[in-house]
Formats: sequence, structure tokens, C-alpha cells
Amino acid sequence: MSPKQTELSLPEDAMRRLAEMKPGQATSLFTSDLSVNEFLLVREAGFRPVGLVLGSSIYHVGFQFGRWSKNQELDTLTQAMYHARELAMTRMEAEAEMLGADGIVGVRLEIEFKEFGNDLAEFIAVGTAVTGERPPPTGAWRNRHGKPFTSDLSGQDFWTLIQAGYAPVGMVMGSCVYHVAHQRFWQAMGNVGQNTEIPTFTEALYDARELAMSRMQAEAEQLEAEGIVGVQLLSLPHRWGGHTTEFFAIGTAVRPLREDHVIATPQLVLPLLDR
Amino acid sequence: MTPWDGRGLPPAAAARVQRAADTRVRSSLLSSPAVAALGDVGLEPVGEVMGCVVMHLGWSGWGCNAYSRWGGPVNNVGYVPAQFSGQGNSAYEPYVRALYNGFEQALRRLLLEAQALGADGAVGIRWTQQRVDGVGNREFVALGTAVRARGSARPAHLFSTDLAGEEVAKLMLSGWMPVGLAVGVSVGVKHDDYYTRTQANSFMSGNTEVAGYTELVHGVRSDARAQFAHRAARQGGDASIVSRISLDTWANESNDHRDHLAQCFIFGNSLASFGGHEGRRARRAAETLTVLPLTTTTP
Repeated sequence: MSPKQTELSLPEDAMRRLAEMKPGQATSLFTSDLSVNEFLLVREAGFRPVGLVLGSSIYHVGFQFGRWSKNQELDTLTQAMYHARELAMTRMEAEAEMLGADGIVGVRLEIEFKEFGNDLAEFIAVGTAVTGERPPPTGAWRNRHGKPFTSDLSGQDFWTLIQAGYAPVGMVMGSCVYHVAHQRFWQAMGNVGQNTEIPTFTEALYDARELAMSRMQAEAEQLEAEGIVGVQLLSLPHRWGGHTTEFFAIGTAVRPLREDHVIATPQLVLPLLDR
Repeated sequence: MTPWDGRGLPPAAAARVQRAADTRVRSSLLSSPAVAALGDVGLEPVGEVMGCVVMHLGWSGWGCNAYSRWGGPVNNVGYVPAQFSGQGNSAYEPYVRALYNGFEQALRRLLLEAQALGADGAVGIRWTQQRVDGVGNREFVALGTAVRARGSARPAHLFSTDLAGEEVAKLMLSGWMPVGLAVGVSVGVKHDDYYTRTQANSFMSGNTEVAGYTELVHGVRSDARAQFAHRAARQGGDASIVSRISLDTWANESNDHRDHLAQCFIFGNSLASFGGHEGRRARRAAETLTVLPLTTTTP
């Protein structure tokens, strides 16, 4: 088809389709939470969206004091963050299961503090359930627990991942709520006017991040993943004041679909943009 | 001069549209890349279009179902289920109907303007609501750019979408056409009962889910999703993509009890596939090409 023909037939075809439309008669339509890019790329990667899926939990986060001058994990709070996210994720996965999906793409996992009360937060997981048009070269799209895979990758990343011969097996995360010790008065006084490292702070932040990352890694090992991509390591202060912070690591665990992992060599382009 | 009767377009809008139809100058709210992209798929801008309606939302329901019909709250013990507007028996149904009316009327008026300009649809529509002077007064606005397709085929109804011109072009090149904007609305109410009070108590309870509030927010989102899907499906599309989900919650205290309310809006587009086998294989032109931009920062 020459470009000229495309130019003519494209709007004609589109308008003709709109002319056939019979509003008022409900069709079998699926909903999705994807952007246009994601919608097109997920389809090009060989998946069909089957519906928007969502899970949520309003959670009362318990109470725990950190000792004023001690670096420590606040395990009650860590457990709360784990449990509440788990509830939201499980409910979202249950909806995907009901739709017979192979996986959930474009998952967003958010925490919102709402008008219900001070210690109450909403944990919410939203994504789009998809089914594969054909099974992968080895096995099935679902993960080793027979559950739909989950992925927080964008449509572009998801497409590239599939092209390169990898499949997502699940979102993995690690959380650690940590109380960073306050400095004692004389310690703080000793540093006045000096540029110096504060080893207790450094150590605390190391500790907390390492805990979060190793927990994420453990989840990936449990899924028998080969690696984790798109990892984000976040420090979320939530509403606990300056010295208590949640360190949160999240990424998508992947497994290989084939031996080689080459994609078509990208074309070099020079965008003619003024920025 | 007789006041406008509310049918068709207000006189000012009708006059402007008439002027726009008579002139050869084509205005639009589109960016240059959007105009270029739309030109590639055979759509030309014919003018910017607007629809607006100011509604007075005077009566927004009489609270939770825990109020018996003859006055006085029921006992504040035990479990009181949440209630949602989409279930048909909710006190908030008239309020939700008024919201639908506001959004849909604004969009209808926008499309009336587009039709008067000889357009086939409107793209890049901003569909918003805002409070205006006076208690309970709300303005619903739809603002977008009317476009006309090259060629002789005309749609049965004008299409509408909040997607930018580039996005519409990407969809059409892959064999998808936007059909219409849709909104799903739900309002839910949950009476504070024994369980919510115990679970949300700051000092007594440790880590626990507050099941009643989860029931409220999950229910109100599910209801809004069902409403959205229903309205998108009624337009005759094959797919829909959600562009925005919003959820507001607030507490309503009166006498000796407290209700929590949640309101959810879902906005999105319904899409139809065209051109044979979903048009995808027929239009190899739309095949994705991997590129590596030669810029220091990703644009």
C-alpha cells in the first residue's frame, strides 16, 4: 500500500466504522487503565487487555515508639506496611484470577492518607489484567505458583522486556520502617562548626536500605526469578515525623524465555526538538 | 429579547459558531505536533468548541441508611453495611444523576457546536467541573477542538475524546478509533458502627485493617467502574482506556453519629477497532521501530 492510499483510506475506514456504530446496544467491552502507548505496545507484545483490576485496603497502622537515642527497626510498623500492601495486592490478583488473566501489567501501588483518621491509610493497587495471545516458548505466562504475573513496568519497558526474551514473574518488594537515633546533646555540640560525617546516621540509613533490599531479593528468590528490573528504592516519611522513615524497595522479577537476549538494533535518531 | 429556553446552544455560542462557520480561518487548541499528527491520519481541525452548563446541586441526599425513615438514628451497635448510588436505592442517586447530567450536557453542547462547524468529532477535550458563586452551584465545562475527516465517509454520531492529537493519530495508525468520552460516578456512605470505631481506635487497636472503610472505598470504586464500563459499552466500542480515577472521602457528623462518604469519578475513552483483523496487520506502517535518541537527556 502506498502512503498516498493509506492517507485516503485511513480516515475513510475510521469514519465508516463510526457510521456502523449502534449506540445504546451494549457491546462486550473491556476496560483498561493503560495509556495509549501502553495500550498499543502491550497488544503488539502479544497480549490482550481483559479488564482493569483493583484492590484496596484501609488500614490502621499500630503504634510503636523508637528509643530516642537508638537506631532500630520498628517491626510493628514494618509489618503493618507489609500486611496492608499484601491485602491490596491479593485483592487485585483475585480480580485478575476471576477474569482468567495470565498477568497484570502497569501496576501502581499507592498509599493515600485519607480523612478517616490519623493512623489510617489507604493502600491501593491498580493495574490492567492481560491474557497472552499464545503461550510462551517454555511453559505458561503465569508464574510458578500458577498465579497471574504482576508487573509495575511501563508499556514501553514491558514491550522491550518481552522482545528481549524475558517474562515478568511478579512484583517483588521489601520494606523496612526504621527509627534513626537522635544525637545526644554533647555529640551534636562536638560537631558545631565542623564538616564531618555523622557515623550513626550513615549506619542507620545503610542498615535500613540493606534490610529493605535483601527482603526484596528474598521475594525474588522465592519466585525463582533470574533477576529484578526497574527497581526503585524509596524513602517514604509518611506521617511519622523526621526520624522514622519507611525504606521501600520495589521492582519486577523476571525469568528468561529463551537463550539469547538480543533485540533489533535501535535506529539512531536526532530529535528536532528545541529542548 | 426573550431569554434562552435551554434548548440547543445559547445565543452567544450560536452566533460565534455561525461566524466561525462562515470564515475560512480555522482556530484550534491543538499543539503544532498534534496538528501534524492528525493531518497524517486525515483529520483537519475546523475550530475550537466548548460546552458548558451551570447546575445547582441543592439536595445531595439524606445521609446513611442508618437513619430510620421516621427519624432518629438506629442503634450505634453492630454492623451497618455501606450503601452505593449505583445500587439504585441510595439516597444519593439524585445527586449522582445531576452530576451525570452536568458532564453529559456540557459534552452534548460541545458536540452541537462541532456539528454546526461541519466536524466529525472533537479531540483533546478537557472535561471538568468547578464550584461557582453560591452554595451548591457547579459549572461543568467541556473544551476541545473539532476535527473533520478527509474523504466522503461521515460517522453516524460525532466522536469525542480527551486524548491529544498525537495519541489519536497513534491509535488510528494501529486500527483503533476513539468513539466517545465516558464518565462513571458513584457516591457511597458508611455509617460508623461498632467495628469501625474499634478498629480505627488509635490506642486500643494495633495493626489492623478497618474493614468497614475498606468496604466503603472498594465498593464506591467498584460501583464507579461498573457505571463507567456500562456507559462506555453503550456507545458501541470494543475497548476502553481509563484516563483518570479520583476518589474523595469526607466525614459527616450530625447529632450522635458519624457517617463517612466517598465519591469516585472515572473518566475515560471508549475505542472501536476498524480495518479488518483489528487493522493491525493490515497497517504495517504503524509497526514499532526502536530508536535511540541522540540527546543527552531523554525528551
